[in-house]
Amino acid sequence: MPEWRIPFFLILRHLRRGSKWTLALIVFLMAIAFVNMVFASSLFNGIIATSNANVIETYAGNITIYPNAKDDFIAHTDKQLTKIRAVDGVKAAAAHYQLPAASMKFKNIKSTFRLIAIDPDDETRVTNISQKLISGRYLEPDDNDGILLGAQVTGNEEAATRSFKGIKVGDSVKVTLQNNTEKNFIVRGIFYSNYIEADYQTFTTIKAMQEVAPYLRNQASSILVTVDTPGTETRVINGLKARGVTGDIHPWQDSAGLMKDVTKSFVSIDVILSLVATLIAAVTIFIVIFVDITDKRSQIGIMRALGVRPYLIHAVYVLQSVVYSVAGVLLGAAMFFGILVPYFVAHPFALPMGNAHLVVNAGNFILRAETILWVAVFSGLIPAVMVTRMNMLDEIRGK
Amino acid sequence: MPSEAIITVTDLYKTYVTDEVRVEALKGVSLDIARGDFFIITGRNGSGKSTLLHQLGLLDRPTSGTLILNGLDVNTMSERERAAIRVRELGYIFQEYALMAELTALENVMLPAMMTRPMAECRARAKELLDRVGVSHRLHNLPRQCSGGEQQKIAIARSLVNGPAVIFADEPTANLDSIAAQGIMELFRSLNSDENHTIVMITHEQDETTYATKLLNLADGLVDTYA
Repeated sequence: MPEWRIPFFLILRHLRRGSKWTLALIVFLMAIAFVNMVFASSLFNGIIATSNANVIETYAGNITIYPNAKDDFIAHTDKQLTKIRAVDGVKAAAAHYQLPAASMKFKNIKSTFRLIAIDPDDETRVTNISQKLISGRYLEPDDNDGILLGAQVTGNEEAATRSFKGIKVGDSVKVTLQNNTEKNFIVRGIFYSNYIEADYQTFTTIKAMQEVAPYLRNQASSILVTVDTPGTETRVINGLKARGVTGDIHPWQDSAGLMKDVTKSFVSIDVILSLVATLIAAVTIFIVIFVDITDKRSQIGIMRALGVRPYLIHAVYVLQSVVYSVAGVLLGAAMFFGILVPYFVAHPFALPMGNAHLVVNAGNFILRAETILWVAVFSGLIPAVMVTRMNMLDEIRGK
Repeated sequence: MPSEAIITVTDLYKTYVTDEVRVEALKGVSLDIARGDFFIITGRNGSGKSTLLHQLGLLDRPTSGTLILNGLDVNTMSERERAAIRVRELGYIFQEYALMAELTALENVMLPAMMTRPMAECRARAKELLDRVGVSHRLHNLPRQCSGGEQQKIAIARSLVNGPAVIFADEPTANLDSIAAQGIMELFRSLNSDENHTIVMITHEQDETTYATKLLNLADGLVDTYA
């Protein structure tokens, strides 16, 4: 089959001797089309990854254990914690004791927020709230009247409808529990996790809880568990159950709440945007190749007159499109990883669910590269077939 | 001496229909071209010269009539079979040279041979032919780096590369100055008389008709004179 040398022969000469500016422009267009396809997907991946990380790191751990449906609390919390920490794959565990706060009052502002008693040391091992302080300091285990407030509680963010606007470290917050017990807490610190649900929480110590609700000792409202290796939640949950840990055990995804719906919506939007981006890429590439081929009608006519079979001419343009698209994907990948990813790491998108940067899913990336390749193949083939079906003499005359 | 008919045309018609306008370009042309002929076609613009050459060279299909090439009725053949004949048996020289702009002289000449021959053989044959037509100093030049006369010589070399039975030339000197044109015509004469190549050529130039062994003058799609 010596004739199959012809497409490669012509392509190599075209790349070597064709207009470098045209080649650069086509490859650049391909690269932009590819980046356009990858960007939205990576942004959504980034938002989802940030959101997921925030759910885990500021709110739910990898696994959350709730009381069984018939119970109000997780009984014998200390024993449960000991069992949990002994399970293979568990990195740390911390109990949350939710105080039945009827209300909180700062000056004349009365509102209701979740007040959770924690062991400050245990908490640092499962959430990163201690690293998210924007003023003041973190709680000490023996602090008996300190409170940490989330940014949404302090009114630093606009979302809270009735927040303690203007509150600062050192101010006093009066907490009234459901049994009318009252206690004044001093604001030790304010944290901003950038995850809205976490920032609506308030924290105090187990020691402070014991003063106002001693009956809650050893009766946690939830236990947060982190795992050694992300993605092993199901295996660890099975391990917890096998170890006899009681309670209603859920992976972090079940705690994502609103974010679960948002994530689903992002996936749907990503599919739609990807289809639109693919269509735009297809049309762009088709136009570029079509213009290029139309410009070479005369040369195609000459080749046909010399006896070069149409399938070889098709192969020339398919091969040319493949070369353009591979170069475009490589340039696009270089632009994406060399410019866009570092830029958005330095300047992330500030969103209510956290600061998002671009996260590339290898499978999606390869799929989009393949899409560009196939789009290019058809965008090269279709105009080549159209042109080789024209009258040969019209082609030679460039009509 | 020319004797055996390599092309026999009988009652050839070609009608173009464009935008409901019907143009009868050929109206029943019959002729014979023998092996070794230098067959020159003349006529005014619109007389059907190029249309006839395109039918003879299998670049187009007639509306009716028969065309026998080397004993084969080529009008009944598929496009694939006609393409194979174009590669093996026919050579073309166009008025505008029709060289591939991104290929050197050597590569342009090699291209038709690459359909059937090993690369080294294509290269050797192309070099030999470029030397034969007198442009061996332009082997590695692109067409745009060559003069009009040189480009036409490269096109002639390309037309010869597969050892064709017939060479078709459509006003090969139309874009050349008189000296270059004479050089091309002398080259054709040499190919015809020294190497017995059959040449079918269109020309507008009266003095070029002196090279012909057979002369056909067309008028309004009909044979006017044939000698």
